[in-house]
Amino acid sequence: MNVIEIKNLTKTYGKSRGISDISFNVEEGEIFGFIGPNGAGKSTTIRTLLSLIYPTSGSATIFGKDCIQFAPEIKREIGYLPSEVFYYDNMKVKDLLKYSASFYKKDCSKRMKELAEIMDLDLNKKIDDLSLGNKKKVGIVQGLLHEPKLIILDEPTSGLDPLMQQKFFELLEEENKKGATILFSSHILSEVQRLCNRVAIIKEGKIVTVEKISTLKENNYKKFKVETKVPLNKEYFNLSGVNNVAVKDNTTSFLFKGDINTIMKKIAAIDITNLWIEEPDLEEIFMHYYEKEPRKL
Amino acid sequence: MNIFIHELKANRKSTIIWTVSLIAIFALFMSMFPSFAKDADEFKKLLEGYPLALRKALGVNLDTLFTILGFYSYALTFIVLCGAIQAMNLGTSIISKEVREKTADFLLTKPVTRTQVMTGKLAAAFASLVITNVIYLAAAVGIATQVTTDDFSMKEFILLSLTMFFVQLMFLAVGMIVSVIVPKIKSVLTVSLGTVFAFYFIGALAATTEDDVKRYLSPFKYFDNDYILKHASYESPFLIAGAVIIILAVAASYILYTKKDIHAV
Repeated sequence: MNVIEIKNLTKTYGKSRGISDISFNVEEGEIFGFIGPNGAGKSTTIRTLLSLIYPTSGSATIFGKDCIQFAPEIKREIGYLPSEVFYYDNMKVKDLLKYSASFYKKDCSKRMKELAEIMDLDLNKKIDDLSLGNKKKVGIVQGLLHEPKLIILDEPTSGLDPLMQQKFFELLEEENKKGATILFSSHILSEVQRLCNRVAIIKEGKIVTVEKISTLKENNYKKFKVETKVPLNKEYFNLSGVNNVAVKDNTTSFLFKGDINTIMKKIAAIDITNLWIEEPDLEEIFMHYYEKEPRKL
Repeated sequence: MNIFIHELKANRKSTIIWTVSLIAIFALFMSMFPSFAKDADEFKKLLEGYPLALRKALGVNLDTLFTILGFYSYALTFIVLCGAIQAMNLGTSIISKEVREKTADFLLTKPVTRTQVMTGKLAAAFASLVITNVIYLAAAVGIATQVTTDDFSMKEFILLSLTMFFVQLMFLAVGMIVSVIVPKIKSVLTVSLGTVFAFYFIGALAATTEDDVKRYLSPFKYFDNDYILKHASYESPFLIAGAVIIILAVAASYILYTKKDIHAV
């Protein structure tokens, strides 16, 4: 069953920003990654799902119900954590969480205490006095205390230290095991790779691809940079699996996908002064997807 | 209901401060009344020296000024002005506070409709005004009976006092529509002070002419204190006009707010 179904969702603001013709589904019980660079349209999509903004055209359903028409009903089962922490100042953490809980027709106090303990959050402090990371924790507890069936996270990890990030991911995995579906938006590929089953990649308001993480890993590109004494002929690395060859003075760089031995033998045959092999960053992975289309300049 | 209670608590401090301030202004004026009434003739001569237009703009009516109710209606111009600022602040805060404190995402991702959010907040603002007026009125009656031994009509006193409440309701509605239309209000006070004073001066200008139509331009002039003192009632055309303005502004605010895109900040 699909928890989220997005059909041809379009939102335009004036000329530039927005999303166009986005369609993808999130299945029940999966952790779905939603990645793309800043400004690609991740937040716009999420805010439309939450009916904070209204689509220009297209539609989306959550739990099989239209996300605009049945918004209040749907939101009973949604936990949302925005990228930027909001929250009423001049309130104690406890009071804010109680206020948050008062919107759901169930007793959330036990879960609230558990979560605060896990996230190491002091309930008696004023929100004003909290650091960014601690405010983020308030956000996490607030988003999870009613044990939602769907958790929507919009770049949730900014501001959290690595230890907390770890705890947070464990928490999410636990919620997922209990049956929660998670939509996780991020621009950090490693986060998504770690947690998610499938990902949608978005760029410039369009979905580039929706793939399983495992497939993405099979497509694992490595970024090579070779420094030689004399400039290399660009054709030297012309073999299958090599992409984006760029020669700049004595340095040659390219992306490679395939049997690592082939390329290592090829490199071993020349006289090199230095060699870097790196995981490509998100932008470069995107480039791979864009090669199928005519590149815009 | 939880939104209402939350907002009412959030308004608590400002409601107390405004109520106390309003009572303080009233008390200050009333403390001057006994000596003022004693030297009535000299004051009258002094004030007659001012041009009529200026006296009208300031709301000074020499025929009634030296009675407690007449003096009160003069004091009221300042008290209502303050009350209007309070109401405008409340109205403008309803939506703009959400944007400024980035709490819109918090509230609107909860299982509530936007109408419910708006209603909760509006009801809380309304309740704050009611509380302010009830306490103010009680204190004002108490103080007034202390400072004068003359008999005065309690009905007229209450009618005069309640003009503040009605003016406040108009500014609450105006503030609300402003906060829905203006995308980002950085400082509520600048907007509300600006609007309130603009209307105040429009009202003062309108008062210098005898033209009743101009009075429709400023909520401050919907209640003519001299008329109230003469007839012990309000002028119905202005009451109706005030009600229409409030209803239209509130309805428009609801419609616009439910259709509005809430952007990330």
